[in-house]
Amino acid sequence: MLIFVQRLGRLVFVFFVVTFVTFFLLDQAPGDPAERFAGLNATPEVIEGIRAELGLNGSLIERYLRWLGNAVRFDFGDSIVTRGFSSWDLIRESLPKTLELMVFAEIMAIGIAVPLALASARRPGSFIDKASSSTAFGLLALPAFVLGIYMSFIFGVKLGWFPTIVDNLPGLNDDPLDNLRQMFLPSLTLALNLVAVYLRLLRSDLIETLQEDYVMLAQARGLSERRIMWRHVLRPSSLNFTTAVGLNIAGLIGGAFIIEVLFAINGMGRLVIQSVILEDFNVVAAVVAILTVAYVMMNFLVDVLYSILDPRIRHAAR
Amino acid sequence: MAGTGTAHLRHDVVLSVTELVVEFPARKKQVVHAVSGVSFDLDKGETLGIVGESGCGKTTTGRAIMQLESVTSGSIRLNGVDLAAEQGEQLRQARKAMQMIFQDPVSSLNPSRRVREIVREGIDIWGQTREGDVDAWVAEVMESVGLGDEDVADRRPHEFSGGQCQRINIARALVMEPDVLILDEPVSALDVSVQAQILNLLEGLKRQFGLTMLFISHDLSIVRYLSDRVMVMYLGQVCEIAETADLFSRPTHPYSRALLASIPGNTLGLPQASELISGELPSPLNPPSGCRFRTRCPHATDVCTSTEPELVEHEPGHWVACHHPSVNA
Amino acid sequence: MPLVEPGATGAKTETEAVAPIKGGNPGQKRRLGLTFWLSAGWIFTLVFLALFRDILPIRDPDELGIRTREVAKFESPGRNACGGGDGQGRDMFARVVQGARPALILGLTVTIIGGILGSAVGVTSGYLRGKVDTVTTVFIDIALAFPGLVLLIAVRATFGNSMFVFIVLFSLTSIPGYARIVRGASFALSERDFVDAAAAMGATKRRIILRELAPNIALPVLSFAFIGFALVIVAEGGLAFIGLSLDETTWGKLIADGAGDIARHAHVALFPATVMFLTILAFNLVGDSMRALYSPREVATQRRLRVGAMADTGSGDEVLYIDDLFTALHTPNGDVHAVDGVSLSLKAGEALGLVGESGSGKTMILRSIVGAFALADVTRTGTVEVAGVDMLRAEPADIKRTLGTQIGMVSQNPLTALNPVRLIEHQITEPMLVHTSMSKSEARTRALELMQQVGIPAPERRLREYPHQLSGGMRQRVTIAIALANEPELLLADEPTTALDVTVQDQILRLLSDLQRDRKMAMVLVTHDLAVVKGFTDRVAIVYGGEVIESGPTEQIFSNPRHRYTVALIQSMPNLDLPSHSELTTIEGTPPSLVSPPRGCRFAARCPAAQDICNTTPPSTNEASEHWFRCHFPAGDDAEGAA
Ligand SMILES: Nc1ncnc2c1ncn2[C@@H]1O[C@H](COP(=O)(O)OP(=O)(O)OP(=O)(O)O)[C@@H](O)[C@H]1O
Ligand code: SF4
Ligand code: SF4
Ligand SMILES: [Mg+2]
Repeated sequence: MLIFVQRLGRLVFVFFVVTFVTFFLLDQAPGDPAERFAGLNATPEVIEGIRAELGLNGSLIERYLRWLGNAVRFDFGDSIVTRGFSSWDLIRESLPKTLELMVFAEIMAIGIAVPLALASARRPGSFIDKASSSTAFGLLALPAFVLGIYMSFIFGVKLGWFPTIVDNLPGLNDDPLDNLRQMFLPSLTLALNLVAVYLRLLRSDLIETLQEDYVMLAQARGLSERRIMWRHVLRPSSLNFTTAVGLNIAGLIGGAFIIEVLFAINGMGRLVIQSVILEDFNVVAAVVAILTVAYVMMNFLVDVLYSILDPRIRHAAR
Repeated sequence: MAGTGTAHLRHDVVLSVTELVVEFPARKKQVVHAVSGVSFDLDKGETLGIVGESGCGKTTTGRAIMQLESVTSGSIRLNGVDLAAEQGEQLRQARKAMQMIFQDPVSSLNPSRRVREIVREGIDIWGQTREGDVDAWVAEVMESVGLGDEDVADRRPHEFSGGQCQRINIARALVMEPDVLILDEPVSALDVSVQAQILNLLEGLKRQFGLTMLFISHDLSIVRYLSDRVMVMYLGQVCEIAETADLFSRPTHPYSRALLASIPGNTLGLPQASELISGELPSPLNPPSGCRFRTRCPHATDVCTSTEPELVEHEPGHWVACHHPSVNA
Repeated sequence: MPLVEPGATGAKTETEAVAPIKGGNPGQKRRLGLTFWLSAGWIFTLVFLALFRDILPIRDPDELGIRTREVAKFESPGRNACGGGDGQGRDMFARVVQGARPALILGLTVTIIGGILGSAVGVTSGYLRGKVDTVTTVFIDIALAFPGLVLLIAVRATFGNSMFVFIVLFSLTSIPGYARIVRGASFALSERDFVDAAAAMGATKRRIILRELAPNIALPVLSFAFIGFALVIVAEGGLAFIGLSLDETTWGKLIADGAGDIARHAHVALFPATVMFLTILAFNLVGDSMRALYSPREVATQRRLRVGAMADTGSGDEVLYIDDLFTALHTPNGDVHAVDGVSLSLKAGEALGLVGESGSGKTMILRSIVGAFALADVTRTGTVEVAGVDMLRAEPADIKRTLGTQIGMVSQNPLTALNPVRLIEHQITEPMLVHTSMSKSEARTRALELMQQVGIPAPERRLREYPHQLSGGMRQRVTIAIALANEPELLLADEPTTALDVTVQDQILRLLSDLQRDRKMAMVLVTHDLAVVKGFTDRVAIVYGGEVIESGPTEQIFSNPRHRYTVALIQSMPNLDLPSHSELTTIEGTPPSLVSPPRGCRFAARCPAAQDICNTTPPSTNEASEHWFRCHFPAGDDAEGAA
C-alpha cells in the first residue's frame, strides 16, 4: 500500500506545481483582465471593484490559494469573456462532447488493435502481420489534421457517407443515430492514430512473451493455440499497452483540439484554445485544473491496473 | 556482537577483512543482511576460495572489497591501509591495487569499444603505472592469456566467444598488475570444456605473475582445483575456513558436509545429502538467531538458537564456527 | 500534454536501447535497407530545395497568379504547376518549398538542443540514480502533465512569435521525452557488468558516463532523434492549423488555408498535406531502420512447422521411438541443422541421459518431440512416435491429446517455466481440465496430492500463490507436479537443475529419479554435466554437433568410452580424487557450426586422434547394437587406440 500512497503523493505534488505554474504564466501575460472587463472609460475605483469581484487582487500566492480553495467546490470564477457564464458552466458544456469523442475513439482503437496484434504476433512475417504493420507505420506518419483532411475528403466529400462538420450535435440519448453519424469521422480519425500506437506496442510485447519458456511449455502440454494466446500470453504482455491507453485517455481530454477544430466540435480542446486566445484566464485555469486532475487520476489508475495485471507488482507494493 | 570471530586472522597479509557487515535497505524499513561479520585474510601469492550457495553473500563480499557496495561496518585493510577510513579520491586511488573479474564475460565488456581500448583501459585511467614500454607490456599480457594474435586487438567483443571474452577480461585486469585479483564466478557462464581452459589459464597465470586471488564460486570442484584455502559461507556468515585438502577430506561444519555431499556422484564417502540438510534457505531479511544454519541442521540444539558460534581452531589452520563440530567425526 | 509528444510512436525505445549486446550475433551483418535509402533521398531532396530555393528555377511563392496570369486561380496540378495554384493563383509547389525551410530549421535546431540536453539529463539520472533520479522523474512527470498550449500562449504573448521563441519553446518541451528514453536506457545499461568493471578499474563517474554509457546510447538516441524531428514538424503543423504558429509560411498553415475549401478545391490542402505526410514518413523510416541496427532483430521468419519424409516406424512397445530425425530451423542466416539424423528409443521405466555441450542440439531434440519451437520456421523429417502416435503426422487433436496425457516436460529455468501472472493452482489443474473429464474440485484435490508427492510443504497455501512467491527449488517442484498431472508415460527433463543450487539440485534429481522408478515412466534427462547422469540413468546418449555420437548403457559409457569426444568429456570432468592445482584436461577449440556442419566426423577439428579420413568421411555405425559410436579410430581399440 505504501508505494501507492507515495505515488499518489507525487502525483498530487505534480498537480500543485502544474496549476501554480499555469497561474504564474497567466499572471505574466500582458494586459489587465479587470481593465478589459470594465470597459474603456471606467474609473480606477470601478476597476478595483471589478478586480476584487473577479478575485484578481492580492499577491500571486494569495490569489492562487484562494483559487484553489474555491476550485475544490468547482467554483472556478466567472468567465471574463462570455459574460454571465461561470467557467464551470463552459466546461460542463464542452466536457461531454470531448468525453464522447474520446470514448468512441478508444473503443474503436482497442477493438481494432487488440485482435490485429494477436493475429500478427501469432505469425510474425505473415501477410496479415506485414500488412497491418506497414499500415500502422503509415498511419503514424499522418498527423491528426492531415489524416482528418484525408478522411473528410474521402468519406465526406467523395463518398458523402458522413458529414464533415459536426453541427448541432444531438444528445446520444435523443437521437443516437444522428449523433453517431456525426461523431463517426472525428472518432475514427482519432482512433486510427491510436490503432497504430497500440498495435505496435502490443505486437512487440506479445512476440516477446511468445518466446518465453512458459509459453513453449504450454504448447508442449497440448493446449490449443487460442487458449494459449488469450489465457497465457495476452495478460503478461499488456503492461505497456495499458500505460499507453491510460495516458492517451488523459491526454485526449484536452489534447484532441485539432480534431475538434477540424470537425467543429465544441469540446474541451476548443475551449482551451478560445479562452487562451481571448485571455479568458479563469476558464484557462479551470480547464488546466481539470486536465491535470484527469492526468493524475489516469496515472494512478494505470498503477493500480498494473498491480492487478501483474501479481509481482502487487506483492512488491505491499 | 562478535560476529563469527577474528581469531583466525594472521599478521602481515596483503588483504585483511575484519568483521565486514554489508546490509541493503529493503521495503518497510527492513534490512537485507547480506554479509554479517565476515573476517578473512589473504597472504601474498595465496588463493582463497569462497564457496556457498546463492544468497550466501559471497558476491557481495567481493564487491564490498572492491568498493562497489557501500560497507555498513567493518574494516578492509589493503597492504595495511584501512580502506573504510578513506574517502572519495583517496578511495579511488586504492582501486589501482585491486582488480575484479565478473561472472558474465560478455556483459563485462563494453560492446562499443575495441579490445585494444578495453585492455588498456586501466592505463588510460591511471596513466603509466610501470616502468618501461607500455605497449610491450600489454602485448605480453595479451600473449599470456592466449590472445596473442595480431588481429584480436582491433575487433569488438561481440566477435568473440564467452571463453575468449573472459580472457580479455583477465588481460584487462592483469595489465594493472593488481596486488589482489577478485574473481566472481569467472567460469560459471562457460561450457565445461571451456571452463577447464580458463581454469588452466588462471593456474598458469598465478605462477607466472605471482597472483594473489580471491576466487568466488558456487562450484566446489572448481574452487577445490584453484584454491590454497577455502572458506565456506552460509547466509552472510563464515562456517568454516581450512586448507583445501583438509576441508575436502575432513569437512567439519554440518553445512560444509551437506554441501560436499550434494556434489553429483558424492564420491567423498559422506552420507546422503538429504540426511545432512533439510528445509529451505531462510530469508536474509530475517535470519535465524544464534547459528544461522540451525533451521536446517540435523545437530541443532538449544545453544545453537541462543548463541552465535564463533570460529574456533579445530585442528591447526582448520577453523570451524559450530557448537557441535565433534558430532560429525 | 506537451507540445511535442514523445510517446506517440508506439516504439519502446527505452528498453530496446540496451540490446546491442544481446543481439550481438557474430557473423551477422546488419544493413540499412532500400526504404532507408529512399527515405534519406527524400529528406536530402527536401533539404536541397529548401537551401537553394532562391537560385533554383522555382516561381516566387508570393507572386499572385491573378496578376501575372502564369498560374490560374485554383489551377489543378498539372504540367504548368505541379502542385497547382491556390485561391490567388500562387504556385503551390513554390509555396510548399517555401514552407520546407521553417520546418527543417525548426526540426533540426529543436532536435539538436532537445536531444543533447535531454540525453544529458537522462544519462545522469539513469546512472547516478538516488536523489538525482527522483528529482528528474518528478520533473519529467510535471513536464508531461503540463499543458503545452498554455505555455505556448503565455510565452507568445510576452515574447512574440518569432522563430527563436518557437525554437526555445519546442526544445524545452522535447527535453522530457529524450530524458525519459535515455534515462531508461542508461538505467538498464548500468546494470551491465562492464559499468561495474569500469568502476572497479577506478574510472570516475564522469568517465563512466562519457566513455562507457554515452557510446552505447548514441545510436538509440540518434534513431529516436529522427522520429523526434518528425514529431516537431507534426507539432508545428498542428499549431499552425489552429492559427497559433509562426508568421512564416509553413506547411501547417498551407494545409489550414486549404482545408476550408476542400470540397471544391481539394488539391490546395491535399498537396501540402501529402508532402508533409511523406516527409514525416521518411523521417520515421530512417529512425526505424537505424533502430534495426541495434535492437534485437525482429522475428523475420514466419512461424511454421513443416514435416518431411517419414523414416521407420517403431515396433509398438517403445514409449518413445525416434528414427532418423532431422530438425532444421530456417533462419535469415541459413538453415540451422540443429538435429541431424538422430535415432533413439525408450521403453517404459527406462531413463536415458542426453549429454552434450551448449548448442549441441539437446534441447532441440526434446522440442522436436513435442513440436514446440516458439516463433521459428522449422522442418522436421523422420519419425517421432510417442506411445504409438506419430507426433509429426497424426491429426492435430491426437497430437495434442498425446502431448497432454502421455508427455510431461520440465525445463531448465524454473524462474521462466511458470507463467508469472497465473496462480499456481490454475497452472497445475489446467492440463487436467483440458485433457481429462475431471471437474474443478477433483482437479484441485489431485493438484494437492501432486504437490505433496513432489514435496511442497503447505500445499493448500501454495496453490493460492503466484510463482514469484516461491523459491527456485519450489518452483521446479511445481513444474514437475504439472508435468505429472496426467500420469504421463514419458518425462522429458531439460537440464532440470542447472539453474539451481547444489543442495537443491541433489533434492530435485532424487525426486525425479524416484518418481520415474515408482511410476515406471520413461525419462529423458538432458544435461551438460556427465556427473549428473551417472547415478540417475540407465543409458546415455552423447550429443555433439546435432548428432548422437555415442550411446550405450551408463556404466559402459563411463568404464569403456569409445568415441574420442566422450573420452575427452569424461577426462575434463572435475575429479575430486586428483590433488588440487593439477592440470585439467581440456578440449581445445570450439564446437562446429550447425549451419554448415563439417563433411566428415564433426569432432575432427578438435580431435587429438584425427586422421585424413576423419575430415572426409562420416564414420558409420551399427545403431542396432547396445553400445555404439561414430568414430573411425575409437579409443580402447588397441590397434588405432595407441596411435
Ligand atoms: N529459434 C532458433 N533459431 C535458430 N537457431 C536456433 C534456435 N534455437 C536454437 N537454435 C540453434 O540450434 C542449435 C541447438 O540448440 P539447442 O538449444 O538444442 O542446444 P543445447 O544442446 O540444448 O544447448 P544448451 O546446453 O545451451 O541448452 C544451436 O546452434 C542453437 O543456436
Ligand atoms: S552451531 Fe548448531 S545449528 Fe549451527 S551448525 Fe553447529 S550444530 Fe548446527
Ligand atoms: S572419427 Fe576421427 S576425428 Fe572423429 S572422433 Fe574418431 S578419431 Fe576423432
Ligand atoms: Mg538446452
